[in-house]
Amino acid sequence: MSQSLSPECTPLKKEYDSCFNSWFEGYLEPAVAASASSSTRSAYSERKAEEFQQKCGKIWEQYKSCVQRAVKERGLDKLLQQAREENPLVEPPTPPVK
Amino acid sequence: MHFFSQAFQYDHPWSHVVIGMWHKYPNSKCTHVVSIDTIDRSIDPQTGIIRTERVLGCKQKAPMWIVKLFGGSEDAFVREISFVDPATQNVTITSVNLSLSQFATCYEQIHYTPASATQTSFLQTAEIQARMALWRSAADGLEKWLVQRFEQNAQLGKSGFTDVLRNLWEERDIGSHRWETDSACILAPFQLFFICISWIPLFNSLRQGHSLP
Repeated sequence: MSQSLSPECTPLKKEYDSCFNSWFEGYLEPAVAASASSSTRSAYSERKAEEFQQKCGKIWEQYKSCVQRAVKERGLDKLLQQAREENPLVEPPTPPVK
Repeated sequence: MHFFSQAFQYDHPWSHVVIGMWHKYPNSKCTHVVSIDTIDRSIDPQTGIIRTERVLGCKQKAPMWIVKLFGGSEDAFVREISFVDPATQNVTITSVNLSLSQFATCYEQIHYTPASATQTSFLQTAEIQARMALWRSAADGLEKWLVQRFEQNAQLGKSGFTDVLRNLWEERDIGSHRWETDSACILAPFQLFFICISWIPLFNSLRQGHSLP
C-alpha cells in the first residue's frame, strides 16, 4: 500500500485504506445487482453508506485531520482551492467519446 | 493545446478492474508516484455513486533546470477525482496537476466501462495546455531577474575596474599628469569587457546547475 505525503499520516492512511477497500469489495457487485430498479438501488445505497460511516468513519476523521494539516504545511491547500474553483467536479463528467 | 488518447481492453470483468484501481500503487513500473492521500470521499445514499478526491505525490522527471527556473520543487502533486457509478457501470477518473499549474495544465481523463462480462474497456484522454498569458508573466519575471543580475554584475565589474584603474594610475600620477586625457578612451572598451566577464558566472550557473541538454 502506498505512503501518505506525510510519514506521520501513513499509519492512519493505511488503516483507512484497508477499511475502505474491504467495505468497497463487499459493496460493488451487489450494488450493480441492486441497480435493477431505483427503489432497490436507493435502499441498498443508503444502507451501505451508513455501514461505511459506522465502519470507517472514526479512522477517516483521524486520517483526514492529519492529511489536512500535511496538505496545508506544503502549501497545497491554496492550489487545491484554486483547482476546485476552476473545476469543482461535484458531478460525474460525461465519459469521453472514442 | 495538445491532445493524447489511447484505448484498449483489460481481460478482467469491470468489477475486478474497479476494485483493482485502489491497489494500483505502489507500482514497480510507475515508481514516480510516491504518495497517495484521500482528501475527500462521499457515497451518495440515493444513487450509490462514490466520489473520491485524492492527492497524488510524484517525483518529477523534469530536467532540474526547468524545475529551478519555474520555481517548482522535485515533488509534484496531482489532484484526482474519481466517480464510481455501479448503476451505469461507469468509472471516470479526472486528474489535473497542482504543481506548476500556473504555467501549464495537464488534464487527464480515464474511463472504465464493461466491454463484455469478462472484459473492460479503458479509454484515456489528456489535454495539455500551456497558459500563454502566464508564460508571458514568467518571461517578464525571467527578464527582470536577468536585468537585476546584469546590474549586479555590472556593478561588480565597475568597482573591480575602478580598483584596477586606481592601482594603475596612482603610481603613474606620482610622476606625470599627461595620461589623464586618454583615460576615457581606454575606459570605454574595458567597461564593455568587464560587463561581458560579469555574465560568465550567470551562464555557468545556468549550464552546470541546471544541466542544460
